[in-house]
Amino acid sequence: MRNAKERPRLFLSECGRRARVLRHRLRRQPDRIDPSSRFVPGFRYGYGEREARGLELLKEWLSPEQFAQYDAKSYFEVTGCHSGKRYRISHGISMNIHELDGAGRPRVGWCFAPKGYLVAGDVMLAQKIALETDERGALAVANTFFVPTGRRNTLPHY
Amino acid sequence: MATQIVMDRTGDTRHNFDAKNADALLKAEVRFRELTGAGFTAAVRAASGEAVVKRTFDPNAEETLFFPRLVGG
Repeated sequence: MRNAKERPRLFLSECGRRARVLRHRLRRQPDRIDPSSRFVPGFRYGYGEREARGLELLKEWLSPEQFAQYDAKSYFEVTGCHSGKRYRISHGISMNIHELDGAGRPRVGWCFAPKGYLVAGDVMLAQKIALETDERGALAVANTFFVPTGRRNTLPHY
Repeated sequence: MATQIVMDRTGDTRHNFDAKNADALLKAEVRFRELTGAGFTAAVRAASGEAVVKRTFDPNAEETLFFPRLVGG
């Protein structure tokens, strides 16, 4: 009986110790950002500077309308060169492209990006150019993902 | 002064060259061929501001942007 009470206490104590060690290790890492990038040697150092340069380059290549939209909403829209469909590119490096329906609502998600470890500004710029100049080629390599439309919630209750 | 901007993990690397200098132009053309041969896409901005993909080297381009091959995420 005593053992049964002791075991959870020891377990919680061990969890607390591990959490403290982990917290201590994380504090010692300078310029910490996305956890995944910690596994890419040399990627995290100076990330903020590279991120800013990437965004600067993106803004130079955006049209005035796209620039204003991105500035206000952290996303911009582009028109596919082949289908004429509208796509919304949100700030990010993956799963950040949504094809829009006629009403401007996200219909389906598309995921493609330039190969390698690039900052968000570079990724978004490559996605924009790809959709505007070679939509079919870009979508041919892309994967799709489900976008919740919220229509489920609008169904009447019986 | 013309520029070739290559996206990479450091953000981007810029190669400036004098388009009136034959040697510099040749180097830029070789770089263009190497990058596009390695799967990079080259794009320039038209006068209207639209991006245009270039399959061959354009000696008159003020700024050429190269981004790596696209892959599905």
